[in-house]
Amino acid sequence: MLRSIIVLMCLAAVGPHWATAQEPRLVGRLTAETRVQVDAMLDSARARALPIEPLVDRAREGASKRASGERIVAAVRRLTDELQVARDALGSRSTPSEITAGASALRAGATGDDLAQLRRLRTDRSLTIAAAVLADLVAVGVPADTAVAAVLALAEFALDTEYLALRENVERDVALGASPVSALGVRVEAAAPQGDFGAGTQRPPARKP
Amino acid sequence: MGIHDVTGESDGDFVRRVLNGDTAAYAGLVTRYRDRLGRYAMRMLGNQADAEEALQDAFVRGYRSLRRCTDPERFGAWLFGILVNRCRTLGGRRARRQRTVVHDEVALSRASVGDEGEEFALRETIQWAVAQLSAPNREAFLLKHVEELSYDEMTELTGVSVSALKMRVMRAREELQRLLSEVVRD
Amino acid sequence: MTERGFLFDRVVEILKEPVAIDPALDRRVIKGILAGPSPRAAPPAVVGWLTRRRTVSVSPLGGLALAAGIAGLALLGRSALQLAEPSTAPRTATVAASTEPAPSVVQFVIVAPSAATVSLVGDFNDWNVSATPMRPAPGDGIWSVTVPLEPGRYRYAFLVDGQTWLADPSAPRAFDDDFGPPNSVLTVRGS
Repeated sequence: MLRSIIVLMCLAAVGPHWATAQEPRLVGRLTAETRVQVDAMLDSARARALPIEPLVDRAREGASKRASGERIVAAVRRLTDELQVARDALGSRSTPSEITAGASALRAGATGDDLAQLRRLRTDRSLTIAAAVLADLVAVGVPADTAVAAVLALAEFALDTEYLALRENVERDVALGASPVSALGVRVEAAAPQGDFGAGTQRPPARKP
Repeated sequence: MGIHDVTGESDGDFVRRVLNGDTAAYAGLVTRYRDRLGRYAMRMLGNQADAEEALQDAFVRGYRSLRRCTDPERFGAWLFGILVNRCRTLGGRRARRQRTVVHDEVALSRASVGDEGEEFALRETIQWAVAQLSAPNREAFLLKHVEELSYDEMTELTGVSVSALKMRVMRAREELQRLLSEVVRD
Repeated sequence: MTERGFLFDRVVEILKEPVAIDPALDRRVIKGILAGPSPRAAPPAVVGWLTRRRTVSVSPLGGLALAAGIAGLALLGRSALQLAEPSTAPRTATVAASTEPAPSVVQFVIVAPSAATVSLVGDFNDWNVSATPMRPAPGDGIWSVTVPLEPGRYRYAFLVDGQTWLADPSAPRAFDDDFGPPNSVLTVRGS
């Protein structure tokens, strides 16, 4: 009962219209109660110019994995918050794919400040690949701060294809048995002749001899 | 092993990745050359099953001996040489197995020309005629006129002298024209 | 043009026609490769893991995950038609001039010898558990499916027997473990 009241109050807070838009792709996938809450969050996200696709995907994933309504709502809310932080950090003119990739980077352990720094260093270019590569480096075991430092070190000059090559090379070296950090250290040396991991940041742990 | 896009990758890129341990990268080469090499195997061996066997065998051997590919950028040509060899081995086996059937095939093919659509019949007839060539002549003919290799490239591939290759190609042409002219006249 | 000359040109033209080989051959080749030694002289432990044929038993659920994981591959390739003309020159020069992002064809492969059904579920099919069933090659427990994908980043997992979620062992892990079972991430590059 209390939850229903809260939901109705949230609906009222969204805007002058009583009924929120129904996301058609979620009809039949979620319970009515869950769907009402998720629809409200989607409406709010739309109003804040956040990309909706990742949120709908997340809700559908939860539905397919038979997660509870609470868990689905929590997941959508968490992702919405990340998208918001990413958009704030990357700027209001960011594309949906940049914001989505930024949210992945945040989930991987980057901060909003890191994303803002990335935008400053890499003006006038898409950040989607750089942010996605950051997340993927963490996914193969590079500590988040090291991955951030590496991506920022290359941000000014590297092409997107070079970021992708970096990721592929690191993944391959890790599969061959190198530690993720040493794999990354060697590669960033190769990509950026200066070799310094960004102004003022700590150097990564010593490379494998 | 992560996701890779074959767009923009040369044969050499793939080969180097495989030699560095990225086994999955070999699949990119298989996809790239499957149909092109498969065409030669089909024309040379005359049926799908044998062609696929030769092709699969060639790809697996190519992987196993990849270190011996001295020019990775020309992996395709190197692999083609392996395939030509496989077709020779396989073709020999098939000829021994099917020798007694050849006569019937000749009779059947000649009988069927003109029964069905002209275009279809022509295709079948051409396949049949190519199959009548001796294996060495057929191989030389396909390499020269279908794969469009130079005689120098063919020598490198087959180990046969240029003059012998020219003779085989000429004999193949003569034989094909004889077989097909007779059929058309019937 | 003499009759003989016409015939010869026609013969060559027909023999040059492309031939479509069963794409399942790719899988048989990979299987044949995995059954034997790699071209490297002394493969490090991890590469040996990639190339050694699966030998672990499969009975407990954890064992299923491990066995299904060995030699799982996610491959990316253009459709066979576009690659029908291989060139020995670097391929960057021959990439399509169109500015439209063209879909790439991605093949997902996973080894699950004792599974009855396997399906691919992810962002690209709305996390619909029955939209993309995978097909087993007869007798070897290798399941695969081919999907055209636009450039982008996709989260996905495999669903075995309608109840067990497996990440792709050869792809980067996604961090978004909101619902427990882990997912994998696939990045499809644009040209």
